[in-house]
Amino acid sequence: MTAATARRAAPEPLADIARVERFLYLEARLLDERRFEDWETLFTEDGTYWVPARPDQPDPWSEVSIFHDDRALRRTRIERLRHPDIHVEDPPPRNLRLVSNVRLDDPSAPGVVTATSSLVVIEYRQGRQRLFGGLVTHDLVPHGDAFLIRRKKVVLLDADGTFEALTVPF
Amino acid sequence: MTAADTTRLRDLVRPDRVHRDLYRDPGIFELERQHLFGRAWLFVGHESQIPQPGDFETLNLIGQPVVFVRHKDGAVHVLFNRCGHRGAVVCNQDKGQAKSFRCCYHGWTFATDGRLVGVPLRKGYGEDVDLTDPSLGMVQLPRVASYRGFVFASFAADGVDLETFLGPATRQFDDLIALSPDETLKVTGGVHRYEFRGNWKHQIENLNDMYHPFFSHASTTGKDGRQFQRRAGDAEGPQIGAGGGGGGPNATFEQIPLRGFDRGHSYCGAMPFSGDRGGAAFDDYRARLAARHGPERAEQILNPDWHNLIVYPTLCLQSAAQHIRVINPIAVDRTEVRVYPILLGGVPDEINRQVVRHLNLTHSAASLIQTDDLEAFRRIQVGLDADGFEWLVYARGLDQERREADGSWSGIGTSEMPVRNQYRAWIDYVAGGVAA
Repeated sequence: MTAATARRAAPEPLADIARVERFLYLEARLLDERRFEDWETLFTEDGTYWVPARPDQPDPWSEVSIFHDDRALRRTRIERLRHPDIHVEDPPPRNLRLVSNVRLDDPSAPGVVTATSSLVVIEYRQGRQRLFGGLVTHDLVPHGDAFLIRRKKVVLLDADGTFEALTVPF
Repeated sequence: MTAADTTRLRDLVRPDRVHRDLYRDPGIFELERQHLFGRAWLFVGHESQIPQPGDFETLNLIGQPVVFVRHKDGAVHVLFNRCGHRGAVVCNQDKGQAKSFRCCYHGWTFATDGRLVGVPLRKGYGEDVDLTDPSLGMVQLPRVASYRGFVFASFAADGVDLETFLGPATRQFDDLIALSPDETLKVTGGVHRYEFRGNWKHQIENLNDMYHPFFSHASTTGKDGRQFQRRAGDAEGPQIGAGGGGGGPNATFEQIPLRGFDRGHSYCGAMPFSGDRGGAAFDDYRARLAARHGPERAEQILNPDWHNLIVYPTLCLQSAAQHIRVINPIAVDRTEVRVYPILLGGVPDEINRQVVRHLNLTHSAASLIQTDDLEAFRRIQVGLDADGFEWLVYARGLDQERREADGSWSGIGTSEMPVRNQYRAWIDYVAGGVAA
């Protein structure tokens, strides 16, 4: 098959990878800069953020998760991150995210763009640096020039490991 | 232990304070390993975690590798996860199903009750080697016992039986089991695992501490002093602060009863949740309990009069965010904690989903509640490095502490009685030579 016939055979893409990458970099930057309220607006009304507590956890309902937030809980979490008396954020950690190996997968539902990416988060607080790595799956809904997040799932390499306190979403 | 050691230990634990060495000295941690964790009954797991013959889970129990496994005859065993030949860990998976366990090194094979059943090239062992010696198997911990599905083990061959050890604290186990209309608990909802750089006692001392919530957990309350809504169906979150623009803690915390028992166990009364729970799933659940017990008893079951039960030294049961919490001390200044949701048999799925959701909010490593406590534990450990002021003060409520006719200790609300009660047991175990 020639390149030209391959192009003709491919279905109309909902998004090109450059737009998806641009969106994921924006999301990472908002979290790095602790712009949590702006980050929250990236989600759809029914958007979920899920960090399972083991790598092959089938769903967020039958077993506990490190994070499993709907909009209401995300907002409660962000309110707490802004509270003047949140001791575990005094001082707040500094974060740096690296998003890489972005690829578009078969959509998990009609009308969504499913993207996977490799994520590394470096966190520093009071003389101590931590490293987190994981595979992220985003279900994105096209929205203007960009997207909204319907589902974000972060499977940490050490999802079933033991953690010191975590505060900022990955 | 020499008499001088005993005298020193007794001097470090006083009626209203304890010395920082109990949290910092690796030598004292080693004494705790031998005399406290080495003799008390320690919670291992719930039988529902290993329902079928051959089901197993491995875990670290106070620094030692063990397997929690159901044998083909249905009996539950707690084995040292160690090959009787050269000592390698035999079962290297977190959980699974096995007909037998085989060591990776020389292929020695063990039944799921720990017996050595296979030795490759057997003839190479002469007649004077007794391969039926139980110490060549995966050895069972000296004592294993279950209280209604909650399995405990002890590293000590001698001591009181499990029910005597638990004493009046069995009531809270019964209360949790009663939450299920068919009296079955399912500890199958995964586990939260968190750790902190601090001594294990910071965690156990926190569990009946009603003095700390307003301050430690300030970030979880709004201006009205009320916490976020924790449980689906609750009318509102618990009242932590005084509210009404007054500031300060909710005075009703002083009314919460505390009870301390022998061997360091204690519980605190229920948190000030208010308003009725509702919703279709909850109404269905309530109806199922009422069908079995009648409406009055159903309401009593649904509203346990206690919040956290401490089974000293490593277990806590909680009624509000239904869970089993296991404290696993790793070193004098490092502690791991495992938190298992308690799911109920015979209830609408939605009720168990609510249990999972609630526990994510309160006890995940990223939860809104537990993270505040972890920060306090870490800061205590650092603060104790300061020389010259070497005591931690547990004097609160000492003047109101009472010994009741039934032998339990009582205290009101924000009293530090539960901690003093733990230290009465601690000194008995560690310095007293009193059998568990």
